Amino acid sequence: MTVAAAQAGSWRRVAADPTLLAILAAVWLLLGLFVVYPMVELLMRAFVDDGRFSLAPLLESLADPSHRAAFFNSLFLATSVGLFGTALGFLFALTAVRCGLGRHWLTLLDAFALLPLVSPPFTTSISIIFSLGPKGLITHDLLGFANVSPYGYWTTALAETLTYFPIAYLTLRPILAAIDPNLEEMAFILGGSRWRIFRTVTLPLAVPGFANAFLLLFAASLADFATPLILAGNSFPVLPTQAFLQITGMFDFKGGAVLSLILLVPAAAVFLLQRYWVGRRTYVTVTGKVGQRSRTRAMAPWAAVLLVAGCFLVAALIAYFYALLVWASLVVAFGANNSFTWAHYHVIFTEGLPAIRDTLIIAAIGMPLGGFYGVLVGWLIARRRFPGQRAMELVAMINYALPGTIVGIAYLIAFNDPPLALTGGLLIIVACYVFRYSPTGIRATVALLQQIDRSLDEASSSLGAGTGETFRRVTLPLIAPAFFAGLGVVFIRSMTAISATIFLVSISWTLITVRILENMTELALGPAAAFSVFVIVAVFVVITGLSAVLVRLRAPAAGAAARSFLGG
Amino acid sequence: MPTISIRLDRVSKRFDHTVKGEVYAVRDVSLAVEQGELLTLLGPSGCGKSTTLRMIAGFEEPDAGTISIDGKDVTHTLPNKRGIGFMFQNYALFPHLSVFENVAYGLRVQGRDEAGLIRAVGEVLELVGLASYGRQQPHQLSGGEQQRVALARAVVFQPRVLLFDEPLSNLDAKLRVEMREQIRALQKRIGITTVYVTHDQEEAMAISDRIAVMERGVVVQDGTAFDLYYRPRSEFVARFIGRTNLLAARVVSATEVEAEGLRIALASGRPVGDTLRLVVRPEMIDIVPSSDGTGRITQRTFLGEKTDYLVMVAGTTLQVSATDHYRRPPMEAGQPVAVRFHPEGIHVLE
Repeated sequence: MTVAAAQAGSWRRVAADPTLLAILAAVWLLLGLFVVYPMVELLMRAFVDDGRFSLAPLLESLADPSHRAAFFNSLFLATSVGLFGTALGFLFALTAVRCGLGRHWLTLLDAFALLPLVSPPFTTSISIIFSLGPKGLITHDLLGFANVSPYGYWTTALAETLTYFPIAYLTLRPILAAIDPNLEEMAFILGGSRWRIFRTVTLPLAVPGFANAFLLLFAASLADFATPLILAGNSFPVLPTQAFLQITGMFDFKGGAVLSLILLVPAAAVFLLQRYWVGRRTYVTVTGKVGQRSRTRAMAPWAAVLLVAGCFLVAALIAYFYALLVWASLVVAFGANNSFTWAHYHVIFTEGLPAIRDTLIIAAIGMPLGGFYGVLVGWLIARRRFPGQRAMELVAMINYALPGTIVGIAYLIAFNDPPLALTGGLLIIVACYVFRYSPTGIRATVALLQQIDRSLDEASSSLGAGTGETFRRVTLPLIAPAFFAGLGVVFIRSMTAISATIFLVSISWTLITVRILENMTELALGPAAAFSVFVIVAVFVVITGLSAVLVRLRAPAAGAAARSFLGG
Repeated sequence: MPTISIRLDRVSKRFDHTVKGEVYAVRDVSLAVEQGELLTLLGPSGCGKSTTLRMIAGFEEPDAGTISIDGKDVTHTLPNKRGIGFMFQNYALFPHLSVFENVAYGLRVQGRDEAGLIRAVGEVLELVGLASYGRQQPHQLSGGEQQRVALARAVVFQPRVLLFDEPLSNLDAKLRVEMREQIRALQKRIGITTVYVTHDQEEAMAISDRIAVMERGVVVQDGTAFDLYYRPRSEFVARFIGRTNLLAARVVSATEVEAEGLRIALASGRPVGDTLRLVVRPEMIDIVPSSDGTGRITQRTFLGEKTDYLVMVAGTTLQVSATDHYRRPPMEAGQPVAVRFHPEGIHVLE
């Protein structure tokens, strides 16, 4: 059969199914509007001058030494965070898998490792300023230094490492758990020393995991906007913040677009490398073996003690940062006046109330839309056959894979003028969250559907149900866990994300994260801390609620879906 | 003249194979299934039988040819518009629905009123012997019970056609025999046109009105089980259905052929000197102890109702089955025997 004939066949098939046709048309329309169109507008703005294609703006931008510095700083920072974060993640993963800790200790370890992932982006940054600033708890009070600057490469790298190392932990833990302890036992019996076994058996088996973790961290750091905005300062400019300043400081949309596109090059390279090279290798290792713990003797007691001590130190640092945050939200002026007050909470629930209300409204609208969109597209990709399927899968991932700064600038450029003047409104922020964070739901749905036999769809079909009815009666109930995971991710990100949406907020619609940033720049650190505590509590409550729902559903893959909360 | 319920006319289906390129899963298959008939598609795995069935159901679309059900062309009709009941190898019960709701599914889709629905589901659960199981969840049932729920679900909305895709392959041997008898009884009772796919020749022979044997995407022979067993048209069918001795023979006279050094009375109708291939089933050969015998037993397997022997004759090993071992002492391996063919059962391959 020729390809053309096959295409014709599959077109005919789609045409015979009006529901599917309508769904496809709707999804493509949305993807076209909120993914393709903004990207095209961004590229046009960057590369078209007076109706003609031109590389001049790009070359100009590259010629600017501060931009070049930002580019190399970004790469340097991302590499450092990739290395440090992978090391830290490996420490936690090895401890969790090999040290024979009890269940409660493991839960605690998990909690400390995952806390940074669900916190608002400034949490660590605020605490670092409190600790290492000119009046810092550590630098000033403890060590007695005066006028220390908390800004620059080291603090940024530290904050990002602590924020993103859980990604490495989540990547490496199942891989280490899946390495058959018998392999190590066997090497041990054969007379290898423990260190030798670790070096020659365990580490090589974990190499794809290391590569994957490194790339994921690299991408996360590259895209991170909030941390460098607070901590990097003037001495260490990076691309996302430079692009932001170009637009908000100089109203130079073109310059911002160009800078964000320079960021795109390493981001796309890492994404492709991760997805098509490393991602595939590790995929097989991960399946089904998560949580299986070995009680191998290949870990020497002193090494186990060392590992646990290392984890304890990191956990203590994280605990200290969070305690500091809570404390700072409850005292009049941190470092200057340490008397107790509820004033900061009073501020966020009065002055700050519009931001809280807006954020909750946006989350409330975005959650069901994002959850449903994720499930629908995941189902189309995993279960239906139609022309352009691969293209749909790829396009749906674009906003998720790109650094938020690029997406934000693209939306700003695309929707600032008629015919689609959406900036300043609610819709644009909701759309940004839905199309940026629902791909987690899409992936959870695809993973879930891969475990559910296709014959269920066929059974429904043979019993007379059409596409829509099968989706409603069979597919939807079975992929409910993915739906709730999708809800969770959209909620968490609505509460914590800033990189894309900072370009989209307005006087009428703003976000908690943006208010935190404003507080930080006004040096109103108390309200910033109070806002952060509020976000952490809200996220904790919602995740606990959704996890309870998932447990009640008792679906086969609920666990996997719950884990995917953190995948975004 | 019997009415034709399902008709396949020169149906083909190709797939892209990563190594072999484009391969035919099904090639030019034409079949007609009569109203109320049970036709089995039989063949080894990968012969295209399941693909053929899935095209009748509408899960796959043929690349060429037409399929009609009750005289209506359904080649491009969606599965949900075909009125078929389908039984899956893995049962495909909806894990989130109770037994009752699984069976009721097709009726709910049709929008049947609640009272009629409860009655119909109750009746069909009764029919498959699961009257009291309505509230159970599928995972609480045994394999055989799940099977019967799937059967009930497939027939409750009175489809025009019932399709089975290796429905018994996940059951143990004893249950398999029990279930195939139940399926056959139910099929006869409601008189529904049925296509049944299996790779198990015994199951096919037990359940079918007619069997179509498939090999590499092509129907190589169809007929009754008796036809296929005694009058196979090819070596493949002869070997696939039952056990067989395939012998090369030479015509020595109008009434005799010679095979393995033995004369067999067989009016082949072929000229003297012609070579033939004979299909000789194990039970068509008699062996008796004889010191000047032409053969020697090399192996004996006592199977209760029969005894299987391997007998060496002129350098060839023959499979022989004897059912009269209760009348005389069993023969031992190594014993010389005389071999005699029953000419009336011997079939000449074209």
